[in-house]
Amino acid sequence: MAEQNFVQKMFAEYYRAHYKEIAPPSSLSQREFGFLFSREKMMIRHKSFTTPEELQRFIFTNAPSDIYYSSTYYERPTEPMERKGWLGADLIFDIDSDHLDTPCKQEHDFWTCENCNNSGRGNKLDVCPNCGGTKFRMEAWLCEKCLDAAKVETQKLLDFLISDFGFSPEETVICFSGQRGYHVHIEEPEARTLDQDARKEIADYITGTGLRLDLHGLIKRSRRFGGVGPDLDDYGWSGRIARGVYDVLASSSPEAFQKIDGISSRAAKSLGDDRDSILESWDKVSPWRARNVSLKTWTALASRGVVGQVSLIDTVVTTDIHRLIRLPLTLHGKTGLKAMEVPHNMLDRFDPLKEAVAFDEGELRLLVNDAHAFRIGDQTYGPYHLDEVELPMAAAVYLLCKKAAKLVQG
Amino acid sequence: MDGIVSPESDFATEIEILSFPVARVMIAHIEDDFLKRRYALAEAKRVDLLLGEEDDGKLLEIAKTSLGWRVERRSYKRGMTQVLTIHFADYLRNAVGFHDDHWKLVNRRMSNGWVVLEKRELARLVSEEVRAKIDRDLENIPKVDLNEVAPRLAGRAEEVRQILVKRKASLRAEELPQNIIVEAYPPCIRRLYDNLLAGQHIPHMGRLTLTSFLLSIGMKPEDLVKLYTSVSDFSETLTRYQVEHIAGLRGSRTKYTPPKCDTIKTHNLCPEPDEICQRVRHPLTYYRRKARLLEAGGK
Repeated sequence: MAEQNFVQKMFAEYYRAHYKEIAPPSSLSQREFGFLFSREKMMIRHKSFTTPEELQRFIFTNAPSDIYYSSTYYERPTEPMERKGWLGADLIFDIDSDHLDTPCKQEHDFWTCENCNNSGRGNKLDVCPNCGGTKFRMEAWLCEKCLDAAKVETQKLLDFLISDFGFSPEETVICFSGQRGYHVHIEEPEARTLDQDARKEIADYITGTGLRLDLHGLIKRSRRFGGVGPDLDDYGWSGRIARGVYDVLASSSPEAFQKIDGISSRAAKSLGDDRDSILESWDKVSPWRARNVSLKTWTALASRGVVGQVSLIDTVVTTDIHRLIRLPLTLHGKTGLKAMEVPHNMLDRFDPLKEAVAFDEGELRLLVNDAHAFRIGDQTYGPYHLDEVELPMAAAVYLLCKKAAKLVQG
Repeated sequence: MDGIVSPESDFATEIEILSFPVARVMIAHIEDDFLKRRYALAEAKRVDLLLGEEDDGKLLEIAKTSLGWRVERRSYKRGMTQVLTIHFADYLRNAVGFHDDHWKLVNRRMSNGWVVLEKRELARLVSEEVRAKIDRDLENIPKVDLNEVAPRLAGRAEEVRQILVKRKASLRAEELPQNIIVEAYPPCIRRLYDNLLAGQHIPHMGRLTLTSFLLSIGMKPEDLVKLYTSVSDFSETLTRYQVEHIAGLRGSRTKYTPPKCDTIKTHNLCPEPDEICQRVRHPLTYYRRKARLLEAGGK
């Protein structure tokens, strides 16, 4: 309890100092707001504000643990869902490393079965191997590799949005979510009116769902001329397919070809032998005409190549036209980090574990129960097990938010 | 009624122009949703046919000025000849209604927001917009009693109604089978169902799909609640609320129909499509067909 009060006090202090920097979303009065408070389990929803000052004052006074606004514009945002009157919704993309299959999850994610308390490492399971239970408590630690993986997916997403969909960098706002990933918001009027079906098509485009290679020109023309296929500099998915094939060819070892679904061991061997000449032919004639590569093998290579080209967005978020999302420059209740906008030209160098730190003053003595190693700022902390330590405030608040430590008096 | 409004009308222009309001008033008299949809479709087909004969410039002009779409002739690839392009937002407004793979955005050539189109495809999109417009118009049309205002037309409307009754009878075979036939579940539903029985975790979207499917094929909400609570530790009150919500008994009062195959694929819930899957776009269509096949096989 003392720990919860302390975090609450720190959040209040942060908002007292920074409430004026919190910029409201556009069309403020048409948005619904939702708030979480550390002492309450339920979200307070259906709030709305007419002026930025009113919103800032609410945050200043109440210091919620998490602050969300609706991507949706409503006629009457404070009414229950069925009476709100939908006017439109920003186009939202969410990339959460939770959904990415990073190998390091085996190190820093832990599950505990709520039924039998059996526990283990790695991402969430479907069924407990011990008792068959299906409910788990998850414990996941901030991880640089996972955040980097999310950043790569974000960069691929931006390429789709800018090169293919024609949005400008100014229209595609990137935000660090405050915990495990990134959001991209598009408020542009065109995007607001897209219905759910249209958003589903956009999500399918970005995840490559329903992609047909033959419709992008990967076909066999004749025995004599061999195949035809897209060029590296083609626009849209055609070019992505060609680049995907190129990447797979260039980066796979001869043995790796054998592991690709749909490539026979004979085809794999000849690919291994001819790889260099095929890659070279890309600059001159057309690789698709290579004599020893069948359409089946090309298709298998392309299918593998496509996997590297897609961006693994959370399709549920993009197709949901009634979504609440975290407001930038507010704190994340599970980490104490800031959700914040990241300018396009900074994304490459952006280090969330450093730049999203909200509490950069003071130190705190804690008794840490159990903590996996984690980095905040420039330093790595832990692992701890029943250790009494003095930590910089950001690291201490993080452990308290995770309920992994207790305050030490004095 | 055969889905045809003759394209090569020899009548004078006045008759041509008058035929639409007359058809509209007859439909308002008959008041039948099926008829409304068929009429809108027939007009759209006619537009499609007529536009197909127009040259590019005319078609472009109609799409631009009458519908307000952003369509342009532009060079898609540097140095290449100009092609017809449409802004993706205008494209999606109507193309999402078409189910052939080549209409899916992911299978189009797109650059900088512009989707490459062939002329006949643009004509098809325009006609789809016409269909949607007529659909919306007829949906809100007030009831007209022709016996009072135009008795002679009422006689013709009666003829149309007769044909309509016959048509509908022959479509009845498409209705859902009476009893629930687990063997006729499509693979996606079967997997969700089996996972449920095995007490495994089903993601939110999966539960929504399964619930709306089972409700649509006639399972009663209370039986569904029993099914959920008997095989897992779902709280009964919460499950009941969710099931009744999906059944349209609570909350927004909309009855959810199960998502179509496309959506199921988007959310990664389509495990291994089988032969029937190749020919349908909706799990309920699959169910109807498979049930019919099973029935035929059983006899």
